[in-house]
Amino acid sequence: MRVSDVGLRTSAAVHESDVCIIGGGVSAAMLAEKLLELKPGLAITIVEAGSRIFDVENRAKYRERSLEYGENAWPGDFIDDQAGAGVISRTMAVGGSALHWGGVTNRFSEEDLTLKSRYGLAADWPIAWADLERHYCEAERRLGVSGEPGALPEDTRSEPYPMAPMPLSYNLRVLKAWAEKSGLPFQGTPQAKNTQPYGGRAACLRCNTCEICPTGARYSPDFTYKQLLDAGKITLHDQTLVRRLVKSADGTRIESAQAVRRDRDGERVEYRAKTFVLASGYAWSAHLLLLSEAANRSGLVGRYMAGHAFIGAQIELDATLYPGMNEQHSLISRQFFRCATGVPFVRHDLRVWESSSGRDPRLKDAEGKLLLGDALLADWRTRTVRGAARVRAYYDVHPSKESALTLDASKKNRWGDPLPSIRHVLDEATMARKAATREHILGVFDRLAKANNGRVFNVSEGSYLDHPAGGCRMGTDPATSVCDSYGRTHDHRNLFVVGSPTLPTAGCTNGTLTFVAVTLRSASEIARS
Amino acid sequence: MKISRRAALKTIAAAPVISRLQAGVPDLDPSTLLALAEVVLPSEADRKAALAAFTRWIDNYRENADTDHGYGVTRVRATGPSPARNYPAQLAALDEAARATNAPSFAAAPLDRRRAIVEAAIAGAKIERLPARPTGGHIAADLMGHYFNSSAANDLCYRAAIDRDACRGLAGSESPPKGGSYGDPK
Repeated sequence: MRVSDVGLRTSAAVHESDVCIIGGGVSAAMLAEKLLELKPGLAITIVEAGSRIFDVENRAKYRERSLEYGENAWPGDFIDDQAGAGVISRTMAVGGSALHWGGVTNRFSEEDLTLKSRYGLAADWPIAWADLERHYCEAERRLGVSGEPGALPEDTRSEPYPMAPMPLSYNLRVLKAWAEKSGLPFQGTPQAKNTQPYGGRAACLRCNTCEICPTGARYSPDFTYKQLLDAGKITLHDQTLVRRLVKSADGTRIESAQAVRRDRDGERVEYRAKTFVLASGYAWSAHLLLLSEAANRSGLVGRYMAGHAFIGAQIELDATLYPGMNEQHSLISRQFFRCATGVPFVRHDLRVWESSSGRDPRLKDAEGKLLLGDALLADWRTRTVRGAARVRAYYDVHPSKESALTLDASKKNRWGDPLPSIRHVLDEATMARKAATREHILGVFDRLAKANNGRVFNVSEGSYLDHPAGGCRMGTDPATSVCDSYGRTHDHRNLFVVGSPTLPTAGCTNGTLTFVAVTLRSASEIARS
Repeated sequence: MKISRRAALKTIAAAPVISRLQAGVPDLDPSTLLALAEVVLPSEADRKAALAAFTRWIDNYRENADTDHGYGVTRVRATGPSPARNYPAQLAALDEAARATNAPSFAAAPLDRRRAIVEAAIAGAKIERLPARPTGGHIAADLMGHYFNSSAANDLCYRAAIDRDACRGLAGSESPPKGGSYGDPK
């Protein structure tokens, strides 16, 4: 073991369990919950670098502060010196990024799992669609998803959604009627938001601030942790940063995880377990493996960092809308999740939201004249006669091997460990079709606009890949992947990686439901082991 | 909404927020604030409520608080000094400008003269856009930004009870908000 001496002491407290889960986000919550159902009495310890923020009673206050002052709605949910270049979320807390996710639970499609065999692109997943679909249903049950059946036969489900769909607001009803004039089918996005009391949480009150839900209607992993803790089923060590995994002498097993207590001046803790599970998300899972020189016989730890690119725009249209009714809910068309073979490849989702863009109050008119009081209000009203919609497409891009998370020796945390740096690099095929993809998507936006005397404006392209994944991709060949389809690393039989890091590609829609589904699939195998 | 100047002054002066401004942020003269509101806020607005909300915002502002760093935001930033620290000087300058036109104070100046003074002040502060939240650039722009970005102003603009920032329940959300005069979408 090569561990820096910074912050370490000579002896460590030893903590033993059956399963040690490193990372306390949504994947860890779902994994622990399912493992305990499959194997009641299993001793599970979850180690999380961030803090627990379980003060649900304060969320209405935090929401107010966020609305009024732009203050952090999750106070204390980050670690000052634990960040990295290209890491797009600072959140490190019990619950992880899913503390403030929007709750959107779109599924990927069968094409995502068969890109290589179908199109000769990227890589196939070592999972059959029917298998993943079954775990999607389970994920939807556990998260509590409200949704309506898909409009397309390819989106057939084996089980209904657990809850009735979120009603479309007046604005979304208007926008659905508008959007479908283009000939494309739309529906409300499925969401992990309660339309009725579910899972011990309340029904949605349409607060319009899903990133901080004051009622608990939007699923948040802290509820699962709280339930498991209250029942005495898990041990949760928060504010504890795992710095290294220690391998056995022959390298086939992980013997322990070496950690430091952030809240106790770097006091050392050694975790011993029969099984270790890395559930630290797309950045910190690969980061820990690289620090530990573990699971990397293939040289692919931290490689094939994935995500989806996106293009957005606003469309002005002939419709009277009332911005603010429910800006968090949207429409989706899954029309372009599929792509025929033998034609230029392009896959993307298509989302529509209510919007006030271009019709917000302004201080000066188009001629630069200052507007005060009644004049400003009159100007504002004039510009809101026509409505606006926000549209966006997440489109499928594929990483090259050079799309990598590496250790940046020039940036270290207080313990002296190098921090991660992520640089996304798309493969040649993706780059070659990028212009055509853009043209196609802008054409779809135009089609929506023209269907109702509309006008596209404010086109923008994302500067990062959203819903990042990868870094420990799954596969059947140990030479080209880090773990098998269950997340078991090829190099260490008692070490698993779960959730987003295991995805070979990141689809063309929100990723959380898929991260959870593959984690739940891993849980069955971990329980068997 | 029309209110009497006397009633508004009484209400604003009585609001505890005015006298509980945080340390380092001096009290703001209610009559000057109301005179400013009459220039920069629409006559249809409930100016009394708008001023009370503005002063409450100032009163409860926290310096050096962590700001939102949601998904996709990589830097954690902190709030800066209270914008209200700049306001006494800015209000004093409005008074001084009014006295230059032979009015005893900004509050006592006629409305059209106050408007001209405010226009000059905003131009002098080089403010080009309505601030999303008060910044201290100029109290006139901050008051406008605070009001016009509010849920109340949104409702006034659309003449409908959208109630954007409230928790409203799901029932009835399929219908236009009260006051909205538009029918069922086809």
